[in-house]
Amino acid sequence: MQDKISGRIYKFGDNVNSDIIIAGRYLIYIDPVKLAEHAFEMLGEGFPAKLRSFDILVAGRNFGCGSAREQASTAIQGLGIKAVVAASFARTFYRNAINDGLPIFECPALYDAVTEGDQISIDLAGGLISHAGKSYDFPRIPESVAKILQLGGLANYLKSTLETGSAPR
Amino acid sequence: MSQTIAEKILAAKAGLDRVTPGQIVDAYPDLVMSHTATWRSVSVMKKIGAKHLYDPNRLAIVLDHISPAKTEKYASDQQTSRNFAREYGIEKFYDVDAGIAHLVLMENGHVKPGDLIVGTDSHCTIYGALGALGSGIGYTEVASVWVTGKLWMKVPTTIKLILNGRFAPGVSAKDLMLHLIGTLGADGCGYKSVEFDGSALPEMSISERMTMANLAMEMGSKCVFIPPDEKTREWLLPRLKDPASYRPVVADQNAVYEQSIEIDLSKLTPMIACPHQVENTKPIAEVMGTRIDQAFLGSCANGKYEDLVVAANILAGRKIDPRVRLIVTPGSKQIMLEAMRSGVLATLIESGALVTNPGCGACAGDGGTMADGEVSLSTANRNFVGRMGSNKSSIYLSSPATLAASALKGVIADPREFF
Amino acid sequence: MNMVEKILARKSGQQSVTPGDVVLADIDLMLMHDLSANFVMKVFENEMEGASIADPSKLVFAFDHNFAPATRDAAEALAAVRRFAKKHKVKNLFDSGCGSIHHVVMEAGLVTPGMIVIGCDSHSPIYGAIGAFGTGVGNNSMAALGFTQNKGWFKVPETIKIHFHGTPMATVQPRDISQFLVGKLGEDGAIYKALEYAGPYIESLDVNDRALFPLQAIDVGGKCGFVNPDEKTLRHVRQLFGARASAPEFELLPNDPDCRYADIIDIDVSRIEPQVACPPTVGNVKPIDAVVGTPINVAEAGGSTGGRLSDIRALARCLANRRIHPDVRLQVVPASRDIYLAALKEGLFETLHLAGANIFPPSAGSNQAFNMGALAEDEVMISTQARNFPGRNGHPKARHFLASALTVAASALAGKITDPRTLEVQ
Repeated sequence: MQDKISGRIYKFGDNVNSDIIIAGRYLIYIDPVKLAEHAFEMLGEGFPAKLRSFDILVAGRNFGCGSAREQASTAIQGLGIKAVVAASFARTFYRNAINDGLPIFECPALYDAVTEGDQISIDLAGGLISHAGKSYDFPRIPESVAKILQLGGLANYLKSTLETGSAPR
Repeated sequence: MSQTIAEKILAAKAGLDRVTPGQIVDAYPDLVMSHTATWRSVSVMKKIGAKHLYDPNRLAIVLDHISPAKTEKYASDQQTSRNFAREYGIEKFYDVDAGIAHLVLMENGHVKPGDLIVGTDSHCTIYGALGALGSGIGYTEVASVWVTGKLWMKVPTTIKLILNGRFAPGVSAKDLMLHLIGTLGADGCGYKSVEFDGSALPEMSISERMTMANLAMEMGSKCVFIPPDEKTREWLLPRLKDPASYRPVVADQNAVYEQSIEIDLSKLTPMIACPHQVENTKPIAEVMGTRIDQAFLGSCANGKYEDLVVAANILAGRKIDPRVRLIVTPGSKQIMLEAMRSGVLATLIESGALVTNPGCGACAGDGGTMADGEVSLSTANRNFVGRMGSNKSSIYLSSPATLAASALKGVIADPREFF
Repeated sequence: MNMVEKILARKSGQQSVTPGDVVLADIDLMLMHDLSANFVMKVFENEMEGASIADPSKLVFAFDHNFAPATRDAAEALAAVRRFAKKHKVKNLFDSGCGSIHHVVMEAGLVTPGMIVIGCDSHSPIYGAIGAFGTGVGNNSMAALGFTQNKGWFKVPETIKIHFHGTPMATVQPRDISQFLVGKLGEDGAIYKALEYAGPYIESLDVNDRALFPLQAIDVGGKCGFVNPDEKTLRHVRQLFGARASAPEFELLPNDPDCRYADIIDIDVSRIEPQVACPPTVGNVKPIDAVVGTPINVAEAGGSTGGRLSDIRALARCLANRRIHPDVRLQVVPASRDIYLAALKEGLFETLHLAGANIFPPSAGSNQAFNMGALAEDEVMISTQARNFPGRNGHPKARHFLASALTVAASALAGKITDPRTLEVQ
């Protein structure tokens, strides 16, 4: 995983739910490219196409609430989104994003400061997000869990532990 | 020891004496369940080259969301799940005719107090109705639990919800939960455990407790508990393979809670969750008269036998409004059988309902899809935009009583006149 | 003249007609199910501006393939038909969950002997079992001529008479006999012809069982099929109006004793074994020995050619106190609401449920897999459905066998295609 993630942001409000991110009828796919074709489709005109010109999603509270569908984070990655910063995440989305290798950051203060199209830069090592000359910190993901994200997701993590024999059987 | 139920269970499953909120533990679930999503976990196992399961007896697979298959892709995915179950000798395998996973697993005695259960469905919280810790995870993580037997969990703080008084006639557990979700918000219990308590609790049936533990998910809860009591024991004991395995876990007297909230049930009225968020709740008086095209009675929230009875009692001897399509999906085969035997099914059909095969049904978009501009009233637990079809359609959520009354009138109607 | 000729003559205002004549006849009833209603409606609205429906009371829409639409497109299609019905005052709209169209129409008492019934559904010949003339038409004819003028043009068909005699072997059902005929004549064996099903065997059947024969007239290319109306027909039709205050007037138009046939075929039913229509087509009919032992994944009693109360009773008799094979999913789809309720009250559903079956709403069932019945590539289904063409039920390579309710029951028990004669029925 990189040290820095930068780019243009698209801003969502509170309670962006799982069904909006990817509707149930598309859960027959697990491929990020296929899923991305239908990401945020329920919002209507222009979605998901318009999201492809952005790099980072910034959202309000409870992002990803609702279903435990992992494809919500897969679909976002399929769009080319590099990270999601939210005031807070629903626990199922938080977990799935880590397991999927999608970097996520909790930063309520940033939400109020940004507008669509702004540039931000996330410094993973330093634990800070820069925007318009200001810095906002975010809580670190616990070390044991961060390892999963660093390896690009749980499947990779598991594969490596199986190979090194550090998992049971 | 001053531990909450969640703390006790997580400590036990992590092999620790005690835990504190915020602590991350490696816990070994007693049961890891998956439904229609099973094929995805199977593909993950293939991808990482894992061949062995930590313990096949800890797996449960119920093919529910899309039952039966209506496209070749679904048929093929279901076949993958079936073949996996056969290959690994998964005993707790239930096919497309069984019904909703959560209800099937509880009916068949696979859930007991003190268990830690994870699965590919956010409404795993429902297992809290029987005093188990249930929490939803993604399909990759399910595959990981299949192989390693464990997952990391952060010990939650606990919110206590104290219920006193009793429901007025026509008001029920669903209305209580909609009221709570509307008050506390979609993330009101985010990452937290919820424990119900209070003088009203012992009176609540297992079916009502299931509704409560199910809907609590819509407040963001990590897990929910209705502490096991005599009712739990009575319901569960005959279903357990090994009655000695029934070992209720309740909180210590001096357990520490982040917050305690008291609710007087007698003050509640029928509630409706309005489009397009569950927390967008209103008392029925403000929504009455809204025209509906479709009414759905079912889901793990309210597709249980008791829910069908409530609706049947209102619909008996009457006919639904000709403009309404009433779809009834019994939550499980067992529930459907009971409804057949007691005459409830006949009553529902005679009133004009369409009764489908047991399963998740319209809640998860399996049938009951809506066209532009259509409105559904549903006893399910989610009303997110587009969930039941067109993104220009609307879903309102209610209790089974409200649903029946509304199906009769053709508009959202107050059920209390029938009580 | 025979019954068909008499009806065509009457309805076109002529004394008599002979095969080969083209007549313009009055239509009594126009049927469309949820798929065809949508198509016909589009023809009417897009290509016939300014036209109006002559008599909306002659139109029937029955939503049977979708009992609960599974996709937004399906929902939109149904919503569009509902709007059309409202706009044009079509009262005979039977919404999702009514059953399979022809069963619904008959139970609703909409067809009487002597009528001409056209349907955008190839199984419309079924009404020949109750003394009416029924045939399938295309969307354009329905919209252009049917809707606007209640008329249709018909070439008077030649008639082939099939004379069935003898007593069938135990467990051999009317479905087997009808399928045998399809196999014998071939899919082009009766193109444009009327088929008359006659003989002591047919006469011995009740009307519900007789109906299976004209239902399969399409499978041999027939224009229509019928049974010479008799006392049984009269009693059956009267029963359909049983509860009503006033029954419509009608007249039975049985064959004249001297009517002529293009061909007469004699069939001894006592020598017919259970028959199975094998993939890839309805005409590929074989005696059951040819396919016994084929493992199955799905078994279904349902569809316009199944799902009748008699089929459900047969299933229940076979499966009482037994469990179906663990690898089989058995689907039971009653053909109408009345049948559903009757089966429920008779305890048949309970019996079947305990045997491991799954009960579905009244509908066309797995017919074209709108709500159910999609198979994976290597899966196999045996059912009482009407068609087994590749791709209708999921993967084009999936295999679908068509058979009688007893064969379906026996196969569900064994987990493979099984001769019902080998089964002990209580």
